[in-house]
Amino acid sequence: MTEPSLAGGLSAYAIRDEPYYRAVGDEIDIFAAAYACRLPVMLKGPTGCGKTRFVEHMAWRLGRPLVTVAAHEDLTAADLAGRFLLAPEGTVWQDGPLTSAVRGGAICYLDEIVEARQDTTVVIHPLTDARRALPLEKRGELVPAHPDFQLTISYNPGDQSAVKDLKESTKQRFVAIEFDYPAPAVEAEVVAREADVSGEQARGLIEVGLRSRNLRGQGLAEGASTRMLIHAGKLLRAGAPADAAVRAAILLPITDEPDLREALGAAIAASLPAGLAAS
Amino acid sequence: MTTDALSRPAAAAGAATRLLRLAGDRADVGAQLRATLDRLRRRWSAEDVDDWAEGALALVHANAGGRCLALFCRLTDMSRGAGAAGLAADACAAAELARGAGSKAAAAALEAAPAVAARLAPPDRARWWAALSRLACAAPDCAEPLVERSAMVLAAGGAHGFEDFVAAGLKAGGGDRGRLKAFFTLADPAARRLLERGAGQAGFHELERGLVLFGAALWGAPPRLAPLEGVGAAPAPQRVSLAGDLIRMPHVYRGVPADAAPGPYRAALAHAMAHRVFGGPRRPAGKLKPLQIALVGLIEDARVEALAMRRFPGLRALWAPWHVARPVAATNAALLMARLARALFDPDYQDPDGFVAKGRRLFADASGRLEDPTLARAIGGLLGNDIGQMRLRFDPRGYVVEPLYRDDNLGLWDFGDEPDAEAEEIEQAVDAARPRPEEGDDGRMADAPPREEAGRAREIEPDAAGQVVASYPEWDRAAGVERARWTTVRDAPAALGDRRALAAALEALPGFRQRIARLVRGARVGRAARLKRQPEGFDLDLDAAVEAGIALRVGEIPEGRIHRAAGRRVRDVATVALVDVSQSTRDRVGAATVLEIEKLAVAALGAAMDAIGDRFAVRAFASCGRDEVRLTRVKEFSGRMDAAAMARLAGLSSGLSTRLGAALRHAGAELAPLRSHRKLVLALTDGEPSDIDVADPLDLVEDARRAVLGLRRTGVDVFGVTLGEGCDARIFGRANTLPVRRIEELPARLSELYFRLARL
Repeated sequence: MTEPSLAGGLSAYAIRDEPYYRAVGDEIDIFAAAYACRLPVMLKGPTGCGKTRFVEHMAWRLGRPLVTVAAHEDLTAADLAGRFLLAPEGTVWQDGPLTSAVRGGAICYLDEIVEARQDTTVVIHPLTDARRALPLEKRGELVPAHPDFQLTISYNPGDQSAVKDLKESTKQRFVAIEFDYPAPAVEAEVVAREADVSGEQARGLIEVGLRSRNLRGQGLAEGASTRMLIHAGKLLRAGAPADAAVRAAILLPITDEPDLREALGAAIAASLPAGLAAS
Repeated sequence: MTTDALSRPAAAAGAATRLLRLAGDRADVGAQLRATLDRLRRRWSAEDVDDWAEGALALVHANAGGRCLALFCRLTDMSRGAGAAGLAADACAAAELARGAGSKAAAAALEAAPAVAARLAPPDRARWWAALSRLACAAPDCAEPLVERSAMVLAAGGAHGFEDFVAAGLKAGGGDRGRLKAFFTLADPAARRLLERGAGQAGFHELERGLVLFGAALWGAPPRLAPLEGVGAAPAPQRVSLAGDLIRMPHVYRGVPADAAPGPYRAALAHAMAHRVFGGPRRPAGKLKPLQIALVGLIEDARVEALAMRRFPGLRALWAPWHVARPVAATNAALLMARLARALFDPDYQDPDGFVAKGRRLFADASGRLEDPTLARAIGGLLGNDIGQMRLRFDPRGYVVEPLYRDDNLGLWDFGDEPDAEAEEIEQAVDAARPRPEEGDDGRMADAPPREEAGRAREIEPDAAGQVVASYPEWDRAAGVERARWTTVRDAPAALGDRRALAAALEALPGFRQRIARLVRGARVGRAARLKRQPEGFDLDLDAAVEAGIALRVGEIPEGRIHRAAGRRVRDVATVALVDVSQSTRDRVGAATVLEIEKLAVAALGAAMDAIGDRFAVRAFASCGRDEVRLTRVKEFSGRMDAAAMARLAGLSSGLSTRLGAALRHAGAELAPLRSHRKLVLALTDGEPSDIDVADPLDLVEDARRAVLGLRRTGVDVFGVTLGEGCDARIFGRANTLPVRRIEELPARLSELYFRLARL
């Protein structure tokens, strides 16, 4: 058995350029404080409101590599921790992303953790308390966490059915930071910056977002996210007419129900100045 | 008498001759008949005159009376261009009407005939007569009122519309004389609504959901909407009315083409919401004159719209198409006010009139303080004086706020009468018809011992009709349209029966319960998933294969389950069982009644689903006309199939009729909010929808079929477990109809059902 190299493994995960992130509250301070004590963090909030971008920004700010794992329903504990592989010379142990991060002192970000199988969440338990170690049962190894290692998970409470909730024993290990779509003025700033559109166009897109968020619970599970608005802005920037951009990036993806789509389209048209809607 | 007439043989004497013989000497109409005949002979051939006289004779034979004959002569004189055949047909139809509904109705029809003739060509006129005689047969006392309102009904939809109206009225009345009378005298709002709707127009009912969503998206909270009813026989107003926080909208905006129908409604809703958000409190009307009230309303409209457009600039495009006033010579105050309304709304609008210019200037001067709710009163007062000095006529009764989308502005004022009594009344009615959030199984029945069937009379009979839960549309097969809010579903309280007897009957069937349980448990109704580490499958599970390889090399015993397969993992199905408890379920099928079989089936299914945790609700339905579709909640989704639910199931008894379509739609509505991979409605019925107010059972069969199709479109699978002989595959489709003639057949049918479910 050979030991995989650790040093070079994480350099690919380093973040060199500053990812744009617009702070809306004290989230940067809280995260920095939590990192200083190496407390695990849970980011709660609706889809597309900037959770992933925030983690990237924090990793850059703290100078740590960031290992991101998007959880899905087939994700098992072995996918996180690692497994034996067959090689010509015999069996080889391959670290999973979580193990790499634990060994190398990265921030490990488990996106949408509740999507993963139940056994996955239990793997992270020893890492999130005073033990700070990852037991690898199959190898008979206990990997102590690198002093710089930290675990962050994201979690969208509105998205899941009751069955897919985090276990109480998991929940209570984390420091939580709540995210939501920022206030209109701030969100306009973000959209203008990210999509490279004018302030006026960005404000128009924010109006669109507000209209759809008003329908949360009225037929829409979620309103249009900041990410969606940025997509629409990018289409605008690329020369698409405003109504076509809104339709393609927001109206069509957000709902399959014609009545709802038509009503939302009419409300959006009513809230935009004629120039922006028709340009 | 002419020689021409006399020369014919007596047996085949000309109709004119016979007519004169029978009625020529009558004191009331004899002279008039003779005079008319003389005139006709000068114009027509003898054959034509005879044809005409046949018509008159028909009236005589129907004993329609002198007045009818006189009116027929009058009709003949008034319709010079009409041929003898057409007039004779009118007379024969009137005679038919006289036989059915009496001579008074016939006379009324003949009196209305000249006006109808001016409007309708002969074939359409025949439709009018035919519709009247159809009504005369079914509801004689309604013919005369409808004749008197013919002009109105014809104006709305022509001859075809008239036929549809009669058909719809007979359906709506459902044999109840009072309701029929109310419909055909247009006292029933539904009748007026039908007239206003015209042909194929989209009205409030079709657009309501879209409007609520539109309002919610714009303003953040869903608006409360209700249709506007007319008072008495008057047509419902064409302007929105605000009462409390309720926005009442016209059933239809007349003259707006169907594809443009959402336009005025959205404009009207946006205007109403502008009042709600930016308007002030109601102000006392005090001693203001009607003209001043109208002007203040106009300025207030402009004020709240200006504020709303600041917030939502796109509203201008929504409202602009309705401002169509032009600077034409103003002959009355209302025209000038429409121009002022446009001038205040549209900055590009040119108007030379001094009054309009002054209004514009005053409003522009105040543009810095638009938030001030007293602004309208001040400007309106100033303008009122001007218009008074111009001596323009203002008709307060005929005044209608322009443009179309604005509201009547009565909500702005406090006239000192009962303030919100009307609004409250409406709200109560609206609330009552709103579907209620589901309640859990209440413990009320859990502790009470099952009542004995025989013996004492029940102490207090709960209100059997029950509370209104929801209303649903119904398909009208004859007219080919869906009638909105046609059926009313009510919550009927459950009676308790002897659950022990039911349980004993279930146990008496050897192995039955176990077979059902096994079927339900084995049903493949979950979401498809990839299953790893399977003993067999289509491809290798790489992880498992590698582990097995490693185990071989290190000398351990390898795990054999190294395949991957597709399968269903999690059960995720929600089911509503609809139990038909109509009178016909009393029929015997073999040794047991239909209802007994239904109970056993539901008990076995319920126990099985309960045991493995499937979501499952049971509703029993029976109806007594379209206003009373009774639904009994036997078991809720949230509840268990416990002793209380079993007692409620055992307590079901046969009675009333089967309105399957409404029950299916309600089951669909109950399933709609659930998040579930598969949704299933199991209708246990004798398969023959019928109701007391529906003459042709095919109507309800067709309606139920459409309800099934509608549910299928929303992803709900509907299966009909039809008991008894006369089951009909039309409603559920051949593949989804599961005929059960003996309870022992149920497991076999159920396995077919689950087999189909797994393949779908």
